[in-house]
Amino acid sequence: MSSAVALIHQVATGQVSAREVLAAAIERVDATDARVNAFTERTFDRARSEADAIDTRRARGEVLPALAGLPYAVKNLFDIEGVATLAGSKINRGLPAARADAVLVQRLKAAGAVLVGALNMDEYAYGFTTENTHYGPTRNPHDITRISGGSSGGSAAAVAARQVPLTLGSDTNGSIRVPSSLCGVWGLKPTFGRLSRRGTYPFVHSIDHLGPFSDSVEALALAYDAMQGEDRLDPGCQAQALQPTSPQLSKGVGGLRIGILGGYFQSNATGAARSVVANAAKTLGAAHEVTWPEPELARAAAFIITASEGGSLHLKDLRTRADEFEPLSVHRFIAGALQPADWYLKAQRYRRRYRDLVNALFEQWDVLIAPATPVSAPAIGTEWLELDGVQHPARAAMGLLTQPISFAGCPVVAAPMWPEGTGGMPIGVQLIAAPWREDLCLRAAQVLQQAGVARLAPAAALANTKA
Amino acid sequence: MSALNSMPQQPMTADEVLRYVKAAARAMNLPLDENAARSVAEHLGRTAAMATLIDGVDLAAEDELAEIYRPAPFPIIANPEGAN
Repeated sequence: MSSAVALIHQVATGQVSAREVLAAAIERVDATDARVNAFTERTFDRARSEADAIDTRRARGEVLPALAGLPYAVKNLFDIEGVATLAGSKINRGLPAARADAVLVQRLKAAGAVLVGALNMDEYAYGFTTENTHYGPTRNPHDITRISGGSSGGSAAAVAARQVPLTLGSDTNGSIRVPSSLCGVWGLKPTFGRLSRRGTYPFVHSIDHLGPFSDSVEALALAYDAMQGEDRLDPGCQAQALQPTSPQLSKGVGGLRIGILGGYFQSNATGAARSVVANAAKTLGAAHEVTWPEPELARAAAFIITASEGGSLHLKDLRTRADEFEPLSVHRFIAGALQPADWYLKAQRYRRRYRDLVNALFEQWDVLIAPATPVSAPAIGTEWLELDGVQHPARAAMGLLTQPISFAGCPVVAAPMWPEGTGGMPIGVQLIAAPWREDLCLRAAQVLQQAGVARLAPAAALANTKA
Repeated sequence: MSALNSMPQQPMTADEVLRYVKAAARAMNLPLDENAARSVAEHLGRTAAMATLIDGVDLAAEDELAEIYRPAPFPIIANPEGAN
């Protein structure tokens, strides 16, 4: 399948119809998903109807919206009208079908995008691997013996496998950036409070973010711009005006103060992860090492808040239906539900102070660079990971480098890079900016893309993902 | 000045964590068999180590919670009727 930007252009100019673009996406999903296992729901009838509506508008001579005819899919925690919102669980199969689309799905529909289906994830978003026992693991399209990352694993794998060029996911502690890194696709976790979360199944109200994955920086920015907007019905949505980024992409990084995160972000990364950061830094003209404030404390506080809010959210079902939960996370949920209130309250009080430390750092810097994951994708089932001589539980360790950043609420683009020594597997780089400055992350991303150092793998380089 | 104070804190033993899990689960009406309680205790023990880090932060009384709650949107009228 062609790139998102090429497809949008081809539909707009009538070189192909939206129906033809959709047919190619469906063919690719049918050919590959038995092995990748990204999709849990196929909304092909709806997609045909949406594609036909675009073709009708074009035949009438109407000016088409920004994403007209672009196939996309969403993590299965987004409401899709007429479909039960699984959030990766078995329990939610019993919920009534959603009566309306999530706000971001409504906005993509208004922008002309065509919804192809819903995507696999860790149950209730509590994981970094998408080893979902109920629906099977989503496999990494570059090596199907390896994890795709999570919790938005289906969202990253679907783009990496060239099933669809655009997907949506959520990120509480790294769930967009980790799978972007491990599958080698572009991902954007916007500022906390930027995009409406209404119509999505929550995980941690205090930290949940939503954002896009795509095959290029331009498509990432187009989709992000189309989803922006105020939502007074979402208590977590703080954005009050549109701040389009697409017109900013070509501005380059001249004059920007770009630094490299050291210390914690180097010692918890393998040589391969450090090498992609060095490559990105060289390309962006960054030479100075920067110390991020208190990353260990921030990760600890994020961990505690996540466990506590997640455990509380599911307490009723944990009491009566614990055997129906994902075995890999059910005891973490229960442990979270049993945490003393003091742990949670201190973590929330600390967060406010931490925010001030992070914002002070960004008075000196515009963009900061760090690895997105410590390693490339481990094999499915990996239990332990050694980093800097320390053994870590492998699943939790995938978020070591992302958790401190999302806890501050900063926007981040995950850029797909391809180090030596990983057997051809990618590791992403985080391009981090101050809250509300997604434009700066995307400008830096565009420079990496134009230099050819961050990109998707050629389709021909994919593992044999065909059934 | 370091954010961590220097007061040493003795971590709970594995057995203490297990006893806490069993008691707290009873208080929360969360049924747990022995194997599940042990697994939960393992997770909670890891979190307890993280909580020790946060507990060491020197928070002042005026360090409030990170906020989401707002009683209503801030009024945009410059001088609401009746306001002085």
